[in-house]
Amino acid sequence: MANTFKLRIATLDGQIFDGEAEKLLVRTIDGDVCILPGHISYVTALGMGEARVYVNGEIKRAACIGGLLTVSKDEVRLVPTTFEWAENIDLERAERARAAAEQALKERADRSNYEITAAEARLKRALVRSSVAKYL
Amino acid sequence: MAGVSMKDIKLRIRSMESTKHITKAMEMVAASKLRRAEESAKRTRPYFQLMYDTAGDIAAQDSEFSSPYILPREVKRKLYVIIAGDRGLAGGYNHNVLKLFEEDRGDDPVTVLPIGKKALETMAAHNENIWSDSYPLAAELSISDSFTMAKGICSAFLKGEFDEVSLVYTSFESMLTQTPKLIKLLPLDRDIGKSRKKDSASVTIYEPDGETVFNRIIPEYLGGVVFGALCESEASEQAARRNAMDSATKNAEEMIEDLSLKYNRARQGAITQEITEIVAGAGA
Repeated sequence: MANTFKLRIATLDGQIFDGEAEKLLVRTIDGDVCILPGHISYVTALGMGEARVYVNGEIKRAACIGGLLTVSKDEVRLVPTTFEWAENIDLERAERARAAAEQALKERADRSNYEITAAEARLKRALVRSSVAKYL
Repeated sequence: MAGVSMKDIKLRIRSMESTKHITKAMEMVAASKLRRAEESAKRTRPYFQLMYDTAGDIAAQDSEFSSPYILPREVKRKLYVIIAGDRGLAGGYNHNVLKLFEEDRGDDPVTVLPIGKKALETMAAHNENIWSDSYPLAAELSISDSFTMAKGICSAFLKGEFDEVSLVYTSFESMLTQTPKLIKLLPLDRDIGKSRKKDSASVTIYEPDGETVFNRIIPEYLGGVVFGALCESEASEQAARRNAMDSATKNAEEMIEDLSLKYNRARQGAITQEITEIVAGAGA
């Protein structure tokens, strides 16, 4: 049995990964899942969290937010809304975004519902990014 | 008499030259914008393709659940998302994409969501039903804008405001060819996936379940497709403008050449006439 599978990762910023991987760990809307070679066909939506790609014994970590994951016989496709490798994350920017979002949520009384949802989403994204970047 | 026409020609040459300067400058601006737009169009393509294929695969396999996004309905109200440019002088770019819309819409009343100033202006002039005019500038639309738009479209579709959603945009094939295209966004076309080969025995697990996955994925899918189409359209617009301005510059050059010839002939004529007069005067 093959001990690797073909993995493709593409976002709106382009193709991020195309090659063989041994293991893929991502956070879905239902919690973390790990894909190993020979997995049955599988489709799920992604949540917000850390993704780990195991290539040649190395672990590559990334912040992976939204989108979907499909596993078929031929390949595994990861199509997130945003996907950033840990080393590419701008920690300062993430922290700034977090502070701004927290500030907005504190003043929730004079914000519209839409603004509150947007701020909450921004806060979650910033938290994911900074936790992934800090662990490096 | 020859003098007057010489002056006229000179004036026309000068005005031609300033036109040429403008078209040349516009061509160069479009060429530099094109490079960036082409890059971003190429960047979004793998995502676009993967999303499209995957959604098609799921739609074709779907047997145990029935998401409202897939079920074909009786089409009474259509929504068209139309992506055109913000400016004119881009050859047939705006015209072609709007013509495709006109051909497809038929005679029934439809609702439109114009993106880009030219699309908005034309739709307003034709008294079309405009669903939202909050996207007047195509060039300024960001990824998050297109996701917000997609969410809006999805919720309107689920509420039954529309029974069919199509997208009209221009696909960037190469520097010289840009083709206007129309794709059906909702309900999802089951035939996309069916035409692709796959083993029929495969059973796919959806987690937590098909409907949840689908309801999560579709707004993302739409947002991705809209943004991808936007990048393609932007690249097409710049390419179309570059080509149009390139031929305008060439035409201006041709006219200047032609006028210069006429001017030189007129000058020669005037000199000949003067000499004849002098000679005639000396002979008398």
